[in-house]
Amino acid sequence: MKRPGPLLTLLAGLLLGVFLLSLNATKGTKSTSAETRKESPTPTVSPTTATPSASPSPSPSRTPVPDASYAGRTDDDSSAVALTLRDGKAIAYFCDGRNKESWLKGDVTDDGTMKLTGKDGSVLNGTLREGERIRGTVDIDGGHYAFTADRAKKPSGLYRATATVRGAKVDGGWIVLTGGRQVGILNRDGTPSPAPMIDPETGAVTVDGQQLTARPALP
Amino acid sequence: MTVDPNAATQSFPPSPPAHARPRPARYLVPALVAGAVAVTLGVYGKVHDPAGTAFNLAGFNSTGAVKSWLATVAFAFALVQVVSALMVYGRLPGPDWSAALHRWSGRAAFLASVPVAVHCLYALGYQTHETRVLWHSLLGCFFFGAFSAKMLLLRSERLPGWLLPIVGGLVFTALSIIWLTSALWFFRTFGVTT
Repeated sequence: MKRPGPLLTLLAGLLLGVFLLSLNATKGTKSTSAETRKESPTPTVSPTTATPSASPSPSPSRTPVPDASYAGRTDDDSSAVALTLRDGKAIAYFCDGRNKESWLKGDVTDDGTMKLTGKDGSVLNGTLREGERIRGTVDIDGGHYAFTADRAKKPSGLYRATATVRGAKVDGGWIVLTGGRQVGILNRDGTPSPAPMIDPETGAVTVDGQQLTARPALP
Repeated sequence: MTVDPNAATQSFPPSPPAHARPRPARYLVPALVAGAVAVTLGVYGKVHDPAGTAFNLAGFNSTGAVKSWLATVAFAFALVQVVSALMVYGRLPGPDWSAALHRWSGRAAFLASVPVAVHCLYALGYQTHETRVLWHSLLGCFFFGAFSAKMLLLRSERLPGWLLPIVGGLVFTALSIIWLTSALWFFRTFGVTT
């Protein structure tokens, strides 16, 4: 006698799996959540934190664009974008938290527009609005992402760590969003993978058993 | 009401010598299917470009939380599995419906684990950059292979009495380690959140 029960169980699991997979494949990019959105346990502000200057103090070069950091997500919520502006220059980081990332650099014009480029050919076009947010687009890997990055108050902002761990060149980038969520990618010899969490207070992060310090990224 | 599969293999006497010649297909097919399932999942996870994101359930802040809770549900049903299996085999006193309990808690555990696995494979893929992640990836693939084998073995009668408990134990052990390396890690890292 052959029992149908176990086969039906397997079949039900298979159907459920295929159903969910097709659901993902058809609306994966419209998702409202991602593994990359991690809650930081206690994102409190410490006076000793060294974060990108967020004060619109008069800078030596007298640019009308204040030195500050901005962080936010793409409109489709798939990735995060952070920028740090200083002395009329900007560095930006686009990161999906899994395997797509780019560091972009360029100049900021006096009217607050910027066109930043990355070594991989990615391009960011952005405009600073009322000194409070940067609205723009990123073209990377054939994809086109619109984003809004709000003024970031420490400890949120843009962090980077580079080091050699066990013979591998490690390059990590982190975007700490308002509320403490982190999106980051760690490159080991050019192979990207999700980054471990950093302590946004101190920038401390453990990579493959070794303690590193991520520092605010500056242009 | 059908005869309980486990009770059957336990209580039926071994087949007479005339039938004792083992038919290899009885073991070979489940073993091959198990291998194929595990390898297919692993290869898909490795080759497929992880999407990073997938749909979420309402009421949860992150897919990590959804998965952790679903995995915890599956693990809880798996504990029921162990207890009910001991009842079926008479090692623990149990009610008449312990066999049905075993079947249905197993189905529930399996079905709860499927969405988690789909998300893992679709959004994250097979990864090895950390010991925890490596074991989780490896055993995740192994679990569905071993579970397939267990289901297919149930369809055969006159198996050696020790085979189902061994395979069932493997399935349970794999699920336990999967849960320890994912949901427990998640709850310890991010807190018991939704």
